[in-house]
Amino acid sequence: MTEPSGKRILVIDDANLVRRFYRDALEHAGFQVDEALNGVEALEKVLGAAYDLIVVDVNMPQMDGFTFLETLRRQAPPVSSLPALVISTEAAAHDAAAARAAGANFYLVKPVGQELLVEHVSIMCGLPT
Amino acid sequence: MPLVRRPSLPSESPAAPAGSITEGTSEQRWAAARAAAAQPDGVALLAKALSQERDPLVLEAIFTGLAAAATAESAAAVVPFIRSEEARLRAGALDALRAMPEASRPHIGSLLADPDADVRLLSCELVRGLPEAEANRLLIDLLDGETDKNVVAAAVEVLAEIGRPEALPVLVLCSQRFVGEPFLAFSIKVATDRIGDP
Repeated sequence: MTEPSGKRILVIDDANLVRRFYRDALEHAGFQVDEALNGVEALEKVLGAAYDLIVVDVNMPQMDGFTFLETLRRQAPPVSSLPALVISTEAAAHDAAAARAAGANFYLVKPVGQELLVEHVSIMCGLPT
Repeated sequence: MPLVRRPSLPSESPAAPAGSITEGTSEQRWAAARAAAAQPDGVALLAKALSQERDPLVLEAIFTGLAAAATAESAAAVVPFIRSEEARLRAGALDALRAMPEASRPHIGSLLADPDADVRLLSCELVRGLPEAEANRLLIDLLDGETDKNVVAAAVEVLAEIGRPEALPVLVLCSQRFVGEPFLAFSIKVATDRIGDP
């Protein structure tokens, strides 16, 4: 286990195994991790606690990732400027463009390995890799 | 904002002329969509509106109305939107189909065999609503020849919750087919551990 980074990450994905996989990797790398199952639950969390980064899926029930990001970007600062890493199964160029249009700061295509996840989260949190 | 609210008959909905579901302001279309679910030709009206509507709140009312109808016709109207390029429409379609499991049931087999991997992936979620034995059979058949990593991951996610021992051989095959994929190795181990030690 690495030293605590002091950074808090919200992982948003409806798939239990994906959340577990990301949590294992991020906690092992010293991040504090919270989870949400969809955009509705995630909005409640980001409005109630301070996060350094969100890792968000696209296809989720109740509120998809893009709708969540669009809603997030309409909130008041600092919530509106929370960095977002979108990780989706959608691999086409227009999917990445749609993610950026919705407010994503970076886009990865699933499946994402733990090293790649930690590397991107660290960079986006301004930590050395 | 959930795209599909719990289906309920819109007895409190304002009456609206049938034609207005595709005309007028978003508020008028929303009210018409709410009212349409209670009309004899409501499903046809909602289905027509679904192909034109882009306002999120009106879409929510349309999907909710179609899910409340829960007929073969309403499920058939929703199914094509699983392959939409818009995430909002995909999510709404999936939520609506989940909310009407019996009406969706006849479509699941063909959705799982769809040439589009994204459709197969999303359809794995619909299997969750089936009886366990049927769900296992469908997912085993899918995994037996599936080549897309993310579809396999979606199927394994469901099997990790409802999988039966008969799914273990195909999970072993998948672990051999996708050597070098850390997430799949992790998922398959979780699923096989859970099935082996329920």
